[in-house]
Amino acid sequence: MRMWLMLAVVGAIVLPSQGAKAQEQKMKLDLFSGLSLNLRDINYERQYDVLINLTPGFRWKMGNHFELCGQAIVPLVNQYNYQSAKVRPRILALSKEMKVGPLCAKISGGFFSFDRYGVDLKAFLPVCDWFAFEGRFGCTGYYSLVDGWDMSPMGRLTGFVGGNIYIKRWKTQLRGLVGRFVYEDYGLECEGMRHFRHSTVGVYGSWNNYDKFNAGFRITAMLPPFKRRDRFLTIRPASCFNLSYAVEYHDYTNKLYTTDPEANIREGAFSRDILEWGFQAEKPDFEIVK
Amino acid sequence: MKKYILFIISLATLSLPSLAQQYQGMSGMIHVPTAEMDQEGEVRLGGHYLHQSMLPDVGFLYLDEKYNTFDYYASITPYRWVELSYICTERIIPRGEGHYFTKDRHVSAKFQLMQERQYIPALALGMDDVATTAFNPDRENQQLYFTNIYLAASKHHQFSCGELGGHLAYRRYFRSYNAKWNGLIGGLTFRPSFFPQARVILEYSGNEIAIGIDARLFKYFLIQASLMDFKYPSVGLCFVKNLL
Repeated sequence: MRMWLMLAVVGAIVLPSQGAKAQEQKMKLDLFSGLSLNLRDINYERQYDVLINLTPGFRWKMGNHFELCGQAIVPLVNQYNYQSAKVRPRILALSKEMKVGPLCAKISGGFFSFDRYGVDLKAFLPVCDWFAFEGRFGCTGYYSLVDGWDMSPMGRLTGFVGGNIYIKRWKTQLRGLVGRFVYEDYGLECEGMRHFRHSTVGVYGSWNNYDKFNAGFRITAMLPPFKRRDRFLTIRPASCFNLSYAVEYHDYTNKLYTTDPEANIREGAFSRDILEWGFQAEKPDFEIVK
Repeated sequence: MKKYILFIISLATLSLPSLAQQYQGMSGMIHVPTAEMDQEGEVRLGGHYLHQSMLPDVGFLYLDEKYNTFDYYASITPYRWVELSYICTERIIPRGEGHYFTKDRHVSAKFQLMQERQYIPALALGMDDVATTAFNPDRENQQLYFTNIYLAASKHHQFSCGELGGHLAYRRYFRSYNAKWNGLIGGLTFRPSFFPQARVILEYSGNEIAIGIDARLFKYFLIQASLMDFKYPSVGLCFVKNLL
């Protein structure tokens, strides 16, 4: 299985993208930074445990749909634990997007969130205007820089398959998936998302073979400025604010790493010139001005 | 100075009508729900100081005495016909030299079954705190402090001096310690034509009569002040924004 995955990675890198627009070919470097606010309510002696991190990052679009992105975590306020007090990298990943007929795919390799490293493959297959399949498979290992260098072999297989329904009239997306997650648990998740002009609100319910049921909501709000200049180097704030809430504190189930420092439920995993389906086909949040 | 005053007044005049059962982030009156709905795409983020008379008779006790507290909430109207709200109500109890912090969290939802027409009132079905993560039917005192379900009707009439709203609801709480608020409830709202951003409220919640006022100010803020039983104050402020 791991060999097939590696072959897919190599194949993807040599495979040219089809149908992708020329504008994506330009080289671009974005430097950005945001803040992550984490609140944990497991302590009776104070309202919340607070963790505030500065999250500087970069995104280098290298042309031909190659992208290198990275992000570091700089703790500012930490009431969680000593591991969270360390300055450390969060993501450093090289990605390649491609389109083969209607199938969109994205291969990523490097260091991901949740202290994982390895390779990851995302696939998205639109069937019609309102329905699409998606899948994701990864082979990763654990690494940590908190107490020196620590890592495990790259042997854990994760992934999911799922479907998406997009109701254009109500700008509503329904998403269901079933899969194996980072901590070797199995589960399923259903989510309903309502897209607004610059934000998306989602409500989800999940089931897992360890922790059983959970539910919550997710909010993504895109952050201004919504007009960006068409130049090589852009220094900007983080493009979005993410907030997620879960009824139950299940920190080790239904979790999947991200390969993109600005991943969110609104924009999906693919850039708009590769995938124009569902909300990706609506008016973009950010306008490029000459 | 005049410029600033004019600016503030013009901002207030730009404001949209207010509709709030604000302590839960939902549309309604004070402690009585209505069949009115927020505008599609509207979100509210806010907090409310709650007098003990608005709280259930268990769950918010210290040395067998009810205490005043506050809540905070986030709500959204994703579609014209549904409102959803998530509410945290603080339970802060003195302990030694510090405090013991817990929260009651609950979700509220309201579905408009029928829109208001010329002769037909709006009709809505709503529910508060109907799901819990630690449900135990044998222990009545365990959570579900705010659990209720209601059917509400609302009708508005326009007069030259303002808009009068009549609201009627049947509410059923699931727990005996909230039974005083069961049954037929309702109230009147009046929105004066000279300041349509504000609303005067008179309601009967099943156990007490309350009077209050709310107003939408500076386009993005909604404030509500009320007196339960004409003497116990509650007040809240929330930020309102339409995402569409």
